[in-house]
Amino acid sequence: MRYTRVFPIVIVLSILFGLAFTGLVIAPGFASDIARAPTVGLVAYTAPEARGRKIYAREGCVYCHSQQVRNVKADENMVASYGVSKAGDYFYDTPHLLGTGRQGPDLSNEGRIWRRDIGQPARDYLIAHFINPRQYNPSSIMPSFDYLSEQELSDLTDYIQSLGAWKDNVPAEVAS
Amino acid sequence: MVSRTHLTLSMTSLQDRNNLVATNNSIESSSMRPMDRSDSATRIWLYSGIFWMSVTMLIGLIEAVKLFYPEFLQGIPMLAYGRLRPVHTNIGLFGFMSMGYLGATFYMVPRLTQTPLFSERLGSLTAWVWNLNLVGGCLGILMGYSKGKEYTEIPFPFDMIIGLLVIAIAGNLFSTITMRREQRVYVSLWYILLAIIPFPIYYTLGNASKFSGIEDAIINWFYSHNLFGIWLTTLGLATLYYIVPKQVNKPLYSHIVSFVGFWSLAAFYPWNGGHHVIWGPVPMWVMTASVTASIAMFVPTFATMVNFGGTAWGTWAIMKRDIGYRFSLMAYACYVGASLWGTGLAVMSLNAKLHFTNMTIAHVHLGFLGFGVPGLIAFTYFYIERSLKLKYSRPLAEWHFWLTMLGIVGYVVSMGISGWVEGSAWEAGNSPQGTMVDRYPYHVARAISGLIVLLGQFLFVTNVVKTVNAPAALTATSPDALQS
Ligand code: HEM
Ligand code: HEM
Repeated sequence: MRYTRVFPIVIVLSILFGLAFTGLVIAPGFASDIARAPTVGLVAYTAPEARGRKIYAREGCVYCHSQQVRNVKADENMVASYGVSKAGDYFYDTPHLLGTGRQGPDLSNEGRIWRRDIGQPARDYLIAHFINPRQYNPSSIMPSFDYLSEQELSDLTDYIQSLGAWKDNVPAEVAS
Repeated sequence: MVSRTHLTLSMTSLQDRNNLVATNNSIESSSMRPMDRSDSATRIWLYSGIFWMSVTMLIGLIEAVKLFYPEFLQGIPMLAYGRLRPVHTNIGLFGFMSMGYLGATFYMVPRLTQTPLFSERLGSLTAWVWNLNLVGGCLGILMGYSKGKEYTEIPFPFDMIIGLLVIAIAGNLFSTITMRREQRVYVSLWYILLAIIPFPIYYTLGNASKFSGIEDAIINWFYSHNLFGIWLTTLGLATLYYIVPKQVNKPLYSHIVSFVGFWSLAAFYPWNGGHHVIWGPVPMWVMTASVTASIAMFVPTFATMVNFGGTAWGTWAIMKRDIGYRFSLMAYACYVGASLWGTGLAVMSLNAKLHFTNMTIAHVHLGFLGFGVPGLIAFTYFYIERSLKLKYSRPLAEWHFWLTMLGIVGYVVSMGISGWVEGSAWEAGNSPQGTMVDRYPYHVARAISGLIVLLGQFLFVTNVVKTVNAPAALTATSPDALQS
């Protein structure tokens, strides 16, 4: 008797939750339109880049910087310069770092701004900016990461320079 | 005698019955250990929740200052913005909200079931372990061991211990419910069942899984939105459904409406996760399903609005007299507001403009600061007055109420305007760096609002501590002040 009123509730609740679980957790695992392969040209992270990515996550860069360009008016300039983010772009990302806020700029194409082929000046700028962002923009609200070691700053720089950089190496006809 | 009691019982609503048999004080003897007495679990959970509420507000204030004056407390790695922010959210969700509302749950379940808690001792024990575990997890984040994905930052093994503790807590509550003497199941119990049953599944999925890329994002948001929606919000609503009819001393406006509200919430909320990645590179149907479910959330929101609105109608006199009741109404209004706001944010065109802006922050704080905080405060005042039968300082509570109200409005309005300004600027071709200066005044206003909330909180904690520790004779409520 006691059970008669609670168990139907429990069962219906489980079914309702199970439906959503199937829809949002299990189904994406089988979906063909979710990336099962990297976007053409995407390269896996090197060891320093992977270390830098960990630092990016644990120091909380993700709370202020998104890594996602959407096909919407607010992102128009980025879409024009770099294109819209595709699922395959994130193939190697565990955990994902899409972000939910933009106190600072989107970084998904940062490696195409501070390109590797600029050489040392780009690295010097990025590292000095981590240590004191207000040296370059006095009104910046980015925290200064002056407590990171030289190695950590270097790894972080490697990671930032990897963001989107691979897109520059994809021949135009393949990318489209 | 028995039949007469039965007669009066069946004439009153289920809500009123719970006033008649409060706890099993009668079977309580002085030989019992303190941790076995009834409501000992409630007290630890509730007071811990209030403690963490203050901590999360303090950290929020530090962050808020850092967002317009970044040199504030600069140079201490443990107080870096990127480390404090996950501590603010995790203490907010797992410290303040989870603990505080579990306190209310441990209070409600024995009364709604007319059955002593399955184990007070287990209840108290889980609370202490939860506290220690949370301290460990937060120290881990502060020392740079964050897992780095939103709402799953607490490092191993502390994250898994939370999951295990919830299983123990759910077992404790569920056993009480199945052994109950009261056959009828009041709305609050439905919400509690929804909170405790699926939690271990999505929590483990969110914290222990290793997916990659977009799939990871979808699962992250499936987990997170269930955490907000069918863990914290449901426990909060269960509490409001329990205390409001008692505060106004009349039954709920309509049980049919609460039925509709509950089942539509249970059906739609778990589908909401995908609305965090609207316009993202996710499969079209994930987005469609989530946007549809988010818009369908209008149904339970509307049901809640009608039900509490109907119950509260014409209670001006009680509103004037009972400050706790005013907090309930504030929580109710902000819940409805936050939910409508959330439905709005899920509208694709609005999300295109406002996702990534401070508008999300406004929505979040209307939810947690506007609904979570006043709801727990309402329960605390209720508990002090009706269960401990003590009288708190009215002037302090009056100040507390107005400061909290002012702070919440200031926070939500400043962030709301800021979000709109940002979204409009981006659509006009400006960048986040370009709007940095525009955000400045709003960030200052938000910090001032946070300070006001924190001042109110200080009065609240002072009031609670003084009342609970004062000699009983001084603070006991007169019977007519309660009239229930
Ligand atoms: C004095 C009150 C508070 C202040 C000043 C405050 C301040 C802040 C700040 C500055 C942020 C970061 C915003 C950003 O990233 O741009 C934030 C985020 C957040 N706060 Fe609070 N907060 C307060 C109270 C609370 C409470 C009581 C909770 C309860 C759970 C809470 C939950 C959150 C959550 C979940 C986020 C993350 C939002 C997101 O990622 O979208 N806050 N808060
Ligand atoms: C009908 C109810 C609700 C709907 C449809 C809804 C919808 C949404 C949407 C669309 C977003 C994403 C905004 C964006 O990033 O652009 C969001 C974020 C959020 N909502 Fe809600 N919401 C609802 C109620 C609530 C309530 C009551 C709470 C709190 C108690 C809450 C807590 C949050 C949090 C914490 C986030 C931020 C996650 C993050 O970005 O870190 N929501 N909500």
